[in-house]
Amino acid sequence: MSMSEQQTLRQQVTLIELVDRVLNKGVVVSGDITLSVAGVDLVYVGLRVLLSSVATLEEPRERISATGATP
Amino acid sequence: MTTPAATAPLRRDGLGWYLYGVAAADEASARLGAGLAAGAVQGIDLVAEGPLVGVTSRVSLQEFAEPALPERLRDTTWLEQMIRTHEQVLERVLEDASVVPCRFCSVYRSEAELRRFLSERREVLQAALDRVRGRVEVGVKAFIDRDRFAAGRARQNEDVRQQETQVSSAEGGRAYLERRRFEQLVASELERFRGEAADRLHTRLLAAAEDGLALPLQAPELSGREEEMVFNGAYLVTADRGAFEQALASLGRDFRDDGVELELTGPWPAYNFVPEELGAE
Repeated sequence: MSMSEQQTLRQQVTLIELVDRVLNKGVVVSGDITLSVAGVDLVYVGLRVLLSSVATLEEPRERISATGATP
Repeated sequence: MTTPAATAPLRRDGLGWYLYGVAAADEASARLGAGLAAGAVQGIDLVAEGPLVGVTSRVSLQEFAEPALPERLRDTTWLEQMIRTHEQVLERVLEDASVVPCRFCSVYRSEAELRRFLSERREVLQAALDRVRGRVEVGVKAFIDRDRFAAGRARQNEDVRQQETQVSSAEGGRAYLERRRFEQLVASELERFRGEAADRLHTRLLAAAEDGLALPLQAPELSGREEEMVFNGAYLVTADRGAFEQALASLGRDFRDDGVELELTGPWPAYNFVPEELGAE
């Protein structure tokens, strides 16, 4: 996989982290407009589409290097 | 600090206030206000109400109100941009001030409604701010590589080692059966290991954090990784993160022979450590 494809994949992975937080966590305010459960579901449907288009870039599969604690 | 009235564009009726999060005025007004005024993030209005500051942007109500919103949510380009903006604004705030993050797409139709929210919910919002002050959220995920796990088990576990020997010495149909038995043995070991590993990880990380919680595992098609996720956690840690990262590094070494890799994300605004509902007044 090329550098730019790896970059794309990593960005998508981060997007999932973001979505899990921004959409499902955080204070629900008593706003005039807030996202409904149906709206959140729509977002996930959209994301699956986004990610499946990335997955086709992924072959042959390679490990994404972790940013974490393992050396 | 800009007041929305001062920047209100001509089509005032068509604009609402998108609320990204709430910060404390004593922190937010000085450093953050200066940073935002210097143009660090475009189009952010800080709406001060008593000791609290709402971090907002003016947005088109046509774009966010029904029936347009569901349509917009299907537009992945728009969606991704909005989600990233939400996070970028909060990350910018987090550099200078503690912040209680709001959920995606929290929009007020009028400044009066926004101010009423900030003033009516002042106490719970302040309590939520006190909890996250000087702290950030980090995410920890653990992935397991099945082959490396099996190899590690063959080194540590006599039954697995013997079965592995059976596989390599058998021939023909017999080899297939021995291979199946080996895979079943590894699968049952893995089944037991998953729960143990998640417990050990969470216990050790929690001890090095202010607070923490185990989150649902992400589906492989969403995690973006081939390996199976065995743990997903979020932790509230002091902003310097020193003790926590030490604990994580030590766990990474302990679990390496089991084929487990740890991934750290963040720092995040404390999405997982603010109350979901602010409760009744």
